[in-house]
Amino acid sequence: MPLARLLYMSFQVGDQLGFDNYITLFQQERTILAIKNTLQISVLSTLFATIFGASIAYIVAYTDVQYKKLIEVLTICPTVIPSYIITLSWSTVFSRKGSLNAYITSKGLEALNVYSMWGIVLALSICGIPIVYLMTINTLRKIPRDLEFASLTSGYSVANTMFKINLKQAIPSIIGGGILAFLGSIDNFSVPAFLGTSAGIPVLSTYIYEKVIGFGPSSFNLAAALSVMLSVIALSGTVLQTKFVRKSSAMESVKEDYSVRIYLGPFRWFVQTLVLGILLLVNVAPLVTMLMSSVQDGYGDTFFDNFTLSNYEYVFTNAGVRTSVINSLTLAISACIICIIVGTAVAYMKVRHDGKTIRFIEQGIAFTYAVPGIVVALSMIFHWALIPNIYGTSRILLIAYVTRYLILQVKGSVVAVSSVEESLEEASMVCGMNKLKMWIRILIPLLTKQVLASSFLIFIGAMTELSLSSILAAAGSKTIGLTIFALQQGGAYNSSIALSSVMVLSILAAYIVSHLVNRQRSRK
Amino acid sequence: MSLLIKEVSQIYDTATAVDDISVEIQDGEFIAILGPSGCGKTTLLRIIAGFIHATRGTVLSGDEVFTRNKFHMPVNARDLSMVFQSFALWPHMTVREHIEYPLQSKRQSHLSADEKKAMVDEAIRSTGLEKLQTRLPGELSGGQKQRVSLARAIVSKPKLLLMDEPLSALDAELKISMRKEIKDIHTMTKSTIIYVTHDQSEALSMADRIIIMKDGKIEQMGTPKEIYEQPQTIFAATFVSKCNLVKGTYNGDDFTAYDGVTKYDGAGLPVCFKEANVYPVRPEDFTMNNTKDGIVGVITNKQYNGREIHYKVECDSDFFTVYSDVLADFAIGDTIYLKKETK
Repeated sequence: MPLARLLYMSFQVGDQLGFDNYITLFQQERTILAIKNTLQISVLSTLFATIFGASIAYIVAYTDVQYKKLIEVLTICPTVIPSYIITLSWSTVFSRKGSLNAYITSKGLEALNVYSMWGIVLALSICGIPIVYLMTINTLRKIPRDLEFASLTSGYSVANTMFKINLKQAIPSIIGGGILAFLGSIDNFSVPAFLGTSAGIPVLSTYIYEKVIGFGPSSFNLAAALSVMLSVIALSGTVLQTKFVRKSSAMESVKEDYSVRIYLGPFRWFVQTLVLGILLLVNVAPLVTMLMSSVQDGYGDTFFDNFTLSNYEYVFTNAGVRTSVINSLTLAISACIICIIVGTAVAYMKVRHDGKTIRFIEQGIAFTYAVPGIVVALSMIFHWALIPNIYGTSRILLIAYVTRYLILQVKGSVVAVSSVEESLEEASMVCGMNKLKMWIRILIPLLTKQVLASSFLIFIGAMTELSLSSILAAAGSKTIGLTIFALQQGGAYNSSIALSSVMVLSILAAYIVSHLVNRQRSRK
Repeated sequence: MSLLIKEVSQIYDTATAVDDISVEIQDGEFIAILGPSGCGKTTLLRIIAGFIHATRGTVLSGDEVFTRNKFHMPVNARDLSMVFQSFALWPHMTVREHIEYPLQSKRQSHLSADEKKAMVDEAIRSTGLEKLQTRLPGELSGGQKQRVSLARAIVSKPKLLLMDEPLSALDAELKISMRKEIKDIHTMTKSTIIYVTHDQSEALSMADRIIIMKDGKIEQMGTPKEIYEQPQTIFAATFVSKCNLVKGTYNGDDFTAYDGVTKYDGAGLPVCFKEANVYPVRPEDFTMNNTKDGIVGVITNKQYNGREIHYKVECDSDFFTVYSDVLADFAIGDTIYLKKETK
């Protein structure tokens, strides 16, 4: 519904319908520039993400490098750390007065500026690598070894076999992952917002934001038109992606094979150092730099001379920050609870009584996830602005979060529900239990773990959300992401990195706790 | 020109999968390696193929060294091919592409395009795949898949053809008809075939010679007839010919069963049976009667198989298997007497 209204708005000119909004947009140079930038940035970052993601997946899946667990954790950590924090941490590394740039300028070279096109590409590539990695690694593991052996006995060398057999098999997944990374890039609002705004590099998502914030006479309609364009790109990508996934789905039932397929011999040490080195440099070093500079003040010579907690003092005492933390927490928890109830109900109906209606509902839910966040936000405004007491309160954010993240819960719950055999329920009925008791005694205990795993993802996502809240939040309903954004844009750079550091540490702590809990449970 | 396996061992951290095996295989021979799962037969096959690097030992193919000391010739340099239990077809290639694949490798670069085409056509014809050439593996039945796998293995006319339980993924009827096809292929190509299986009837029906393996060692080696009629070890007797082991005592060559009355002639029996004080009797060598002739027992189970009836007979504390013709019809619970027929 809200999205339909968006489509309608995009064609609305005064009281009539027409293509005027699109025409106006294409007459503006900035629109063309934004589209060009969006495509350029997305394609480049997708390319990098695909090459790196697939290579790391290949090395982890097939070779005998050590520390595979560590490599995997490092590779996928950008999925849980919000992209604006990654961006912030990189901007710390390349800050004008930072040691790296000091070194570069001392060599007589021009200082590297992260507030530029390549800075955005870099940050988006980092966000895309884990997507490609996750899509590729399972496929690689699932390619049966016999297929390789058959090629070897046909007279092909290991390298030739990898190229002619394994790569060919994995290509649908790699491309599928690449498309997802591409979608992630055009969808991403925070990276170009943090890096591109000051450098004057508009992309579609930030351009929409500009239009909405601009409040011109027809700005909402123009923004709607832009959103439709962005959605069209995103949706065609999604369609393409599902096509590729279906191609590779023939192997779904094959078991994963974790055995080592390629012994690197003397190169093992080199390869594992290289991979770990790159990952540490790319994914960990910036965060550490950020953590370190968050306790710095001024430009002294040594680390301890300038040690200060004043940045944190601000973060922990400022009322605005505190409200935003409370807001985000409440929103995330409420969104999780609603998602668990609605999502599991939908999942249960889908698994047990699959029908046209439920499939339609599921597609509707999936749709709002495929469409870029900023577009969802915009359509929320158009739709809910007509209903009193929603727009301008935190309620609209809650609705937006639920709309956006519900599909994650549905997918997680579908997995959970289908792992419970129907006969277990029937057995309970035969024992004389009614439906309600059956749920309490049988289903809920069996589903809890799986269901909570996906709601954990939603929680982290909602806690760190930026693109929805940037448009929907009002004065009293600011979220953490928005606060960091506002601090950074407003020049309070140190405070923003201090708050980001707190976030990173909290996420880390949350993961360690959930890991420990899981381990304890599985030990039982 | 023969395949020589000498003192080959494969030792893992916790177990020895292949324990000091030496075999010489003649050119063109069909060898079946028979054994229960975990006996090391697949490991041995993979050492010959080159997927596993043996801890110790030598593998020579004619005057070519496959494996010796620390040297291992790469798989792709060995003149062999392999048929897999899982078929191992590549999902993105058509039937014809599969069969062309081995000929496009560097190993076959000395062949002209016309020769290659002729070889591919021949392999397709001999496996009856003419009508399926453009199909993808996903569109084939199990038997068709295995034919593609066979065609791929024979197209380059390798000296050595390795087969790793190629029929175990097929259903019962197909297994029997594929046996004939594999035999035909052997006659046609004259390659040396090493065929790994856990199914004794497959080994007996196809092989020129059978190697029985257990716990990484060779139990017995010989023609199917030798293996079936003169098992040299207790394991060979029970695994291949499903012998019943009758307990008793030996006095020289004379065997007296545990009932103290029934006597068998143990002349020519390997010493291991005498040491264990058992006498091997194949299920079809027992006949049942109710005239108090032989070992007494009670029928506990009966399976009608059409041509014959399989009985389970409890004698003292042992259960014996008896295959009898349908004319001698007894019921469960009957007390009968088992008599060993002498040929």
